[in-house]
Amino acid sequence: MSENLLETLSVLILLSSFVLMANKRISSYIKSFRIQSMLIALAAGVMGVRSLLDEGRWDILIICILIVVLKVIYIPGLLNRTYASVRYKVEKDFILNIPILVLVCCGLVIFSYFTLVTIDGSSQGMSNMQLVNSVSVIWIGLFFMISRKKALGQIIGFLVIENGLYITAMLATQGMPFIVDLGIFIDLVTFVLIMGMLTFRINDQFDSIDTDQLNNLKG
Amino acid sequence: MKDCTPGRIGNEAMNSIAYIIIQLIVILLAAPLVGGLIKKVKALTQKRKGAPVLQMYFDLYKLLQKTSVVSEVSSWIYKAAPYIVFATALTAALLVPVSTKIVPVLIPGDFIMLVSILALGRFFMMAAALDTGSTFGGMGSSREAMISSLIEPSILVTLFTVGLLSGSTSLPRIMQTVQVTGFPLAHPVYMMVGLALLIIIIAETSRIPVDDPSTHLELTMVHEAMILEYSGRHLALLEYGAAVKQLVFITLFVNLFIPHDQLIPFMGFGAVILSLLLYLLKVVLMAVVIALIEVNTVKFKLFSIPNLAALSFILAFLGILQFFILGGYHV
Repeated sequence: MSENLLETLSVLILLSSFVLMANKRISSYIKSFRIQSMLIALAAGVMGVRSLLDEGRWDILIICILIVVLKVIYIPGLLNRTYASVRYKVEKDFILNIPILVLVCCGLVIFSYFTLVTIDGSSQGMSNMQLVNSVSVIWIGLFFMISRKKALGQIIGFLVIENGLYITAMLATQGMPFIVDLGIFIDLVTFVLIMGMLTFRINDQFDSIDTDQLNNLKG
Repeated sequence: MKDCTPGRIGNEAMNSIAYIIIQLIVILLAAPLVGGLIKKVKALTQKRKGAPVLQMYFDLYKLLQKTSVVSEVSSWIYKAAPYIVFATALTAALLVPVSTKIVPVLIPGDFIMLVSILALGRFFMMAAALDTGSTFGGMGSSREAMISSLIEPSILVTLFTVGLLSGSTSLPRIMQTVQVTGFPLAHPVYMMVGLALLIIIIAETSRIPVDDPSTHLELTMVHEAMILEYSGRHLALLEYGAAVKQLVFITLFVNLFIPHDQLIPFMGFGAVILSLLLYLLKVVLMAVVIALIEVNTVKFKLFSIPNLAALSFILAFLGILQFFILGGYHV
């Protein structure tokens, strides 16, 4: 039962990164990131309940609450505040148009399937094959980051990579050590705070959050 | 496959003929109702009273009384098209069972047949719209050609995915397999494919994000532009054909993703009636869902439709990929 639920959740997490890729409004980026984090918190909750019943461990449930507080409430709130203060609300110039971006993402899923299927033992358990979905989220996050030109989009791309890494680690190891998770979260908060401030600075200097304009700094 | 050799009509073959008749009656009677229901729900959400649910029956009756006006310059295609469209829609309806207790026609390679039969009807509709040489007809045909060529791959991938899951290309067999899956929409593969099929239904039945069925505004119309030249009996047949096609797609969706026949433990005539009632309930639910989607979205501009089609194709494709990723197991 919980295995089936995790499978469904891993598919939904993959789908939410596709939704992110198909959007062009920065507010929708934040919304879909929030949904993805919510799904990850749900997956962590499922694993937490299972480990509590099986081994009596509380730590994954605590992690789940931390994800809700941090990634569902705090970071999207912070990004929304940054979004409210910049002028650009819609991403206009992509490197390719949206259907092609989404098709490339499909290719990335196939790519991660073919890379993971060659690892010994990965095709035995079904839970291991959920890895394909979560590794694809990392690839899509990376691709999102390079296909967007605005700083806020790139921050969200980074956060999606982080989400992907997190869900990969969680599904592969059935819950990481508590201290590692805490370290990751503290890193993440620091990153978002620094990037938020940096975005304000870029916006002040260039009247835009287009990172292409940083090229002007070259002498 | 049922054994019905010609010349010797056994009990089995009699049953099969009875099933075909039941299926046709259900589809023919329920098809105009769905459109009326969608319009009524839309009207109610906009605090209007709206036309009666049975309005389309009255319209069809009225249109059948009137003579058809045919342009002098038109060829036989113009006159044949309404009949072909209606006939293809009915044939398609025979391939999609309304309930797995009734299996009307069993042929190998079912859903490929379904898609090609509907494509045949669509081809004649587009050809007839071009036939009289009016500007609207040509515009409607070109738009329809674009939308259908974008949507068709995702229909096939969707149906192939559910076919892979049950190991058969025959729609009744697929639907029988779905019965034992439990609730398919909770299953990762079916979930993706179900969402893809929902987008396909919206695009195929000319619903609002893709086409606006209730206006005659030249900017938005696709289906309406193609049938603009028709009148009287021909128009009635085209409208009825479109309604039947819409019900075929809705039937496909509800019977693939919300199976109900395992709820009925007993066999026989009573089970068939109960099964049909449950089916009609599902169709009503689906009509309400489609109406709510239609109320909550806006009409896309024509060049945004490839985005929607890409989304639907990708959902279907991810579905087929999940089937392989999750181990390629049979449900």
